[in-house]
Amino acid sequence: MATALEIQPMIDYRHLVQDGRLHGSLYTSPQIFADEMEQIFHRGWSFVAHDSEIPNAGDFVVRRVGTQSLIAIRSKDGEVHVFYNRCPHRGATLCQTSSGHRSRITCPYHAWTFALDGRLIGLPDEAAYPADFSKADAGLTPVARMDTYGGFIFVNLIPNELTLREHLGHATELIDALLGLSPTGRIQLSAGWMKHKMRSNWKMIVENQVDGYHAPMVHGSLIAANRTFATVRDRKPTSPTRVRDFGMGHSDIDHASDYRAAGDRLFRWTGGIDPERLPVYVKAMNDAYGPEDARRRLIEGPPHSMLFPNLSLAEMNIMVIEPVSPQHSIQYTIPVFLEGADDLNARTLRRCEGAMGPAGMLIADDAEIGELTQMGVANLEPEWILLSRGMGKEEVLANGVKLAGLMDETSQRGFWSHYREVMAASQEVSQ
Amino acid sequence: MTTATLERTTLSAAAVEQFLYLEARLQDEHRYDEWEALWASEDTLYWVPRRQDADPAREVSYIYDNRARLASRIRQLNTGVRHSQAPQSGLRRLISNIEISENGADVEVQSNFILIESRRANLTTWAGRTTHVLVPAEDGFRIKRKTVVLVNCAEAIDNLAFLV
Repeated sequence: MATALEIQPMIDYRHLVQDGRLHGSLYTSPQIFADEMEQIFHRGWSFVAHDSEIPNAGDFVVRRVGTQSLIAIRSKDGEVHVFYNRCPHRGATLCQTSSGHRSRITCPYHAWTFALDGRLIGLPDEAAYPADFSKADAGLTPVARMDTYGGFIFVNLIPNELTLREHLGHATELIDALLGLSPTGRIQLSAGWMKHKMRSNWKMIVENQVDGYHAPMVHGSLIAANRTFATVRDRKPTSPTRVRDFGMGHSDIDHASDYRAAGDRLFRWTGGIDPERLPVYVKAMNDAYGPEDARRRLIEGPPHSMLFPNLSLAEMNIMVIEPVSPQHSIQYTIPVFLEGADDLNARTLRRCEGAMGPAGMLIADDAEIGELTQMGVANLEPEWILLSRGMGKEEVLANGVKLAGLMDETSQRGFWSHYREVMAASQEVSQ
Repeated sequence: MTTATLERTTLSAAAVEQFLYLEARLQDEHRYDEWEALWASEDTLYWVPRRQDADPAREVSYIYDNRARLASRIRQLNTGVRHSQAPQSGLRRLISNIEISENGADVEVQSNFILIESRRANLTTWAGRTTHVLVPAEDGFRIKRKTVVLVNCAEAIDNLAFLV
């Protein structure tokens, strides 16, 4: 993929991103936003789709990664391909809908037609092209690199030196934890995505996804209106819940540490439902993992995490952040269905609707606070945002993972320290 | 059509229209408890799908409230600290293209709406087609089921924390 060659004044990311504070311009500057699209989204690994969204040959989804519209499609041999959503002939958009099914891809402009694996298989009046024209050279353009983990498909548009596994690092544990709630180890993202306009910078959404400090304030209205729906957990500053910085910008709120400390009650992560009301799921888990290990899984529940830069395993939802401009983003949300757990899935669907998305009793309020924050940081003073809560008090494990209290900003600092390395390193190479 | 039927249809059409206008006004003015009182006491559904012809048993909806979930939504708005509606949006909606049919004791009403939301410096246009299933009551009707299909339901939408 080509890169922009504009001459721009150098932005000193090591100055703007400090250990306990951030410069407000990080959320408002168009130049910083443009840098991020290239350095983070195009040169790094980003989530694009899940394998289960396109189960059959010809199924496709269209997703935006950075500034680029991509088609993820399954070909007849079962392989997933990710192509730029652009006809190689004259540049028209190939797929207009966000998902669908095609037996082949035909451009609406001049009817150039491509097989599901991207090969150009037909065009009107091919004989009019010069002798050196070859259909073999005029297929759809795939992204530079694509790789998967646990069915999650990631792309890297401008090749970097990291494998996907190196990028994910310890975050594979989070994906494993989610998949491990399924008796078959597989999830299905088949319920459709809610798309929510957020009037805030994409990084504010990242920060909020793993913020253990705001819930009693931002979500106080839901906690007051429906205490059991708001999930059964300790929200006090003294909560056993830890936030964790996994490195590489990945972080989570480890509610499992609270659930474990609270005793052996199952399903606190889905409203504390009586296990007898989910007999099919509980039996399937016992059969798959044995009673003891199944019990541990059903106590600990799903991860509440943010994988750098755009994928959130948000308990029984997947959320994806699509940056639009410095001030606008789109948040995608879908409930996670576990293969072999239809009784739980029905519940997960209804809980997702209650909490998430534009009308959700949780997320609409996060969107509102994000907008207020975006408006606030447009003011030039004070220049800095404080992000030092709990700094210096983290417990550092032998593998480098940092743990801190529920309300500490360790998780956000984990994101920002990696952000700083990615943004500054690219400049240091190009100097 | 006999004269008697025509009169009955005309009267009920006027009553249905008046009911829709009342509901619209209560929503526009954030009169949450009065709006909730328009609903039947049980076995109700307030549904805002994410696409036309969606299957709500398998697909996620923006809103899929049974009676208890609807009551939670109203309780949350009534706290006064539901941030996405505190402050409340300025709302006014127009309702038109009303088509009425009867299904046993139920009255099914389809209508179009255009809604303008004023929030800070933004004016947001919302539009869609609403299907009400109403049951006659002594003082008018009660809502048994309300489905709102937004024209842009498949696209990214803004906060929908007010009553649509």
